[in-house]
Amino acid sequence: MSHGHEADTLGAHGGHALPHSHKKQYIILGIVLSIVTFIELGIPLFKGVPELWSAAQEVWAPLLIVLSIFKFGAVVGDFMHLRNDLTLYKFLFISPLVLAMFSFFAIGSLSVVHFHPFGKGYAVTAQDLADGYVPPTVGGGADAPLADDKFEAAFADAQKTGFAKGKETFTASCVSCHRADGGGMPGLGVNLTDDCYKHGGKIAALYTTIAKGVSGTAMPAWQTSMDSEKLRQVSYYVRSLKGTNAAGGKECEGAKE
Amino acid sequence: MSAHAENLTHDDAHGHDGHGALAENNFLGLPNIKLAMWAFLGSECMFFGSLIGTYFFYHGNSLSGPLPKDVFSIGITSISTFLLLMSSVTMALAVDSMKQQKPSTARNFILATALLGATFVGFQVLEFHEFYTEKHLVFAGPNASLFGSTFYTMTGFHGTHVTVGVIWLVIMSILIQKKKLVPGKEAVNVEVMGLYWHFVDIVWIVIFTFVYLLEFLK
Ligand code: HEC
Repeated sequence: MSHGHEADTLGAHGGHALPHSHKKQYIILGIVLSIVTFIELGIPLFKGVPELWSAAQEVWAPLLIVLSIFKFGAVVGDFMHLRNDLTLYKFLFISPLVLAMFSFFAIGSLSVVHFHPFGKGYAVTAQDLADGYVPPTVGGGADAPLADDKFEAAFADAQKTGFAKGKETFTASCVSCHRADGGGMPGLGVNLTDDCYKHGGKIAALYTTIAKGVSGTAMPAWQTSMDSEKLRQVSYYVRSLKGTNAAGGKECEGAKE
Repeated sequence: MSAHAENLTHDDAHGHDGHGALAENNFLGLPNIKLAMWAFLGSECMFFGSLIGTYFFYHGNSLSGPLPKDVFSIGITSISTFLLLMSSVTMALAVDSMKQQKPSTARNFILATALLGATFVGFQVLEFHEFYTEKHLVFAGPNASLFGSTFYTMTGFHGTHVTVGVIWLVIMSILIQKKKLVPGKEAVNVEVMGLYWHFVDIVWIVIFTFVYLLEFLK
C-alpha cells in the first residue's frame, strides 16, 4: 500500500513532496520479465535432450502457461498498477477478462476434438507431410498424390497388420453406410470395393474425402472426431478394399481408376 | 481502499488549470479518462479473447496451405517479443518521470517506447510479407486456409493496436515538448496512455505463449 500517496502528483502546487519513484522496481521487474522470457524460449531447446524431453512431456506446456500467467500478472499488477489501485478499476478490467477466458474455453470445448494448445494436433500432421502427403489446395485438385515410395512404405506397414487399425475404425464408424465388406448400401454409402471413385481413389484423395466428408450427402466429415493417425489408417484400409469387388455391392459410381 | 479514494479526491482539490477536460475528475473523484480506459480495456479483453479463441477453434483444421510449424520462426518472434517487453519498461518509466515532474525525461522515455513499438510493427510487416510471399499463407480468397485467416486477423488486429499506440505516443511526446501537456494533474494522460500500451503488451504475452511457443513444443 506504499502507493497510497501516489495520486498526489501535484507536489509543485502546494510544496508537497513528489510521489515516491518506482524507477528501480520497474527496471528490476523488466529484468525479471526478460529472464522469464529467456526461460520460455529455452524450453523448446530441451528437445535436444530426448530423454529429458519425453520424461517431462506433460510438464512443458503447463510450465509455459504458468510463466505467461506470471508475466501477465506482473505487467497488469505492477506496470499498470492494478494491484494497488481502486477496486472499481479492478472490477472493470477483471470481470470482462474472466468472461473472456470463460468464453475462450467454452468455444474451445465445442471445437473439434483437436482443441489445440494442449492437444495433439492437426487433421494433417507433420508426420503426414514427412510421409509425402501433399495437402490439397483449392483448385490444385483434391487428389494431390502421396509420393509413391512413401505411400508404398506406409501402406506396406499397415498391410503387415492386415490393416487391423483401419479395419477396426471402419467397423466402428463406416459399416452402417458402406456395409461390412465395403460394398455400399443403396441410398447410403457408395461401393468402396470396385474401381470407381467419385472423389478419387488415390490415398490422398481418400484421406481428404474421409476427413472432410462430402457436403450435401450423407458422408460425414470424420476429421471432427478422428485424429490424423486414425484417418490415415482407415484410408489405407479403404485403399486396400479397391478391386476386391464385394459380391452384391453397389453399381459403379464415378470414374473408373 | 478508502484511503485511495481520499487521495484521489485530494488530488482533485488541486488547481484546475484549464487543460485537458478529459483529465477532469468525475463525481466519484476519479479521473474520467482513467475510468474510461479501464472500461475500454475490459472490452478489449473480450475482443482479443474472441480473436484468439477463434484462432484455436480452427486450429489444426486447415486442409490446405502451410501449418503454423512450417511458417513460424522463433528467432524473429523472440526479438519482437523482447522489444515489446522492454517498451513496457520504458513506458512505466515515462509515467514515473511525469509524476516526478520531469517532463523532458518523460518525453524521452515516451519516444523510446514509440521507437520500440515501431520496430515491433516493422518486424510484423516483415513477418507477414514473408508468410504471404514465401510460405504461401493466404488470408482470404480461394487459396486461403483457416490458419491463414484466423492468424492474420488475430495478429493483424494486435499490430493495429500497437500502431495506434505508436501514433498516440508520438503525439503525446510532441505535446509535452510544446508544453501543451504539463506534469501534475495532466500526468494522468500519460498514465492512461501507459495503461493502453501495457495492455497491448499483455495481449502479445498471451499470443506469444499460446500461438507461437506452444507450437514449438510439438
Ligand atoms: C451416414 C452414412 C455414411 C457413413 C457413416 C460413412 N459414409 Fe462414406 N460415404 C457416404 C456417402 C453417401 C458417400 C457418397 C458421397 C457422394 O455421393 O459423393 C460416401 C463416400 C465415401 C467415400 C468416397 C468414395 C468415392 O467414390 O469417391 C469414401 C472414401 C468413404 N465414403 C469412406 C468412408 C469411411 C472411411 C467411413 C467411416 C470412417 C465412411 N465413409 C462413413 C456415406 C457414409
